Amino acid sequence: MQYTLLITGSPYQSKACHSALRFLNAAMKAYPDSIKGVFFYQDAVLIGNTLAQPPRDEINLTQAWQAAAEQHKVPLYLCIAAAVRRGIVNKTESQRYELDQHSLADGFQLEGLGTLVDLMNSTHKIIQFR
Amino acid sequence: MKHTLIHLDSSPYSSLAVKEGLDLALVLATFEQPVDLCLSGAALSLLSTQQQPDSMQGKNLHKLLDGLEFYDIDNLFVESDKIAPNGENVWPGVTPLDTEQWQTLFSQYQQVFRF
Repeated sequence: MQYTLLITGSPYQSKACHSALRFLNAAMKAYPDSIKGVFFYQDAVLIGNTLAQPPRDEINLTQAWQAAAEQHKVPLYLCIAAAVRRGIVNKTESQRYELDQHSLADGFQLEGLGTLVDLMNSTHKIIQFR
Repeated sequence: MKHTLIHLDSSPYSSLAVKEGLDLALVLATFEQPVDLCLSGAALSLLSTQQQPDSMQGKNLHKLLDGLEFYDIDNLFVESDKIAPNGENVWPGVTPLDTEQWQTLFSQYQQVFRF
């Protein structure tokens, strides 16, 4: 059984990103190939903002996701439309919109919702965290 | 191929959830994935034919409803007792369900997403 994780809850207004990370780590520990990809949509894309600086005595959730993705070799996708409207842009989008800076954290990729449809059709189940 | 239900239950004007839920429905349909919609709670206000939001109030998502058929999205379900009995001021393309049909709706799909 292979899963896709769809995360839609804001990292600041909900525990969606926290719970999904715990699920990812637990699932991959028990079944190393059980999650094929993680897709962030709606306010969950804020997880990919490299400029956010949480206080030092709190968890840095972006870094925690980066470490988990690296360890388990799971791709982290942000919906490009949802991300760009919230100021999460990579170098390419930064140039497209003629901006001076980019803000996408390493380890995350901007992709269209078509990538979610691909994941949907190539895994058994999608689990939404909201 | 998986049959998807997108359940909208947020207000179209209090967040981007309805907009982003509809976007997902349209993308699924573009990729020829069968998708139906259902509305409850604050999202029912999407159906009101009498709304003209300005840009500060939000995008007029109601106008999007007439375009759904071009994406082959033919079913937009609501629970019948949640809309006006005569359908007055309600977008005419809705499919009203009685309570029992509404309750069984959610188990008829391989996946349900809520926005």
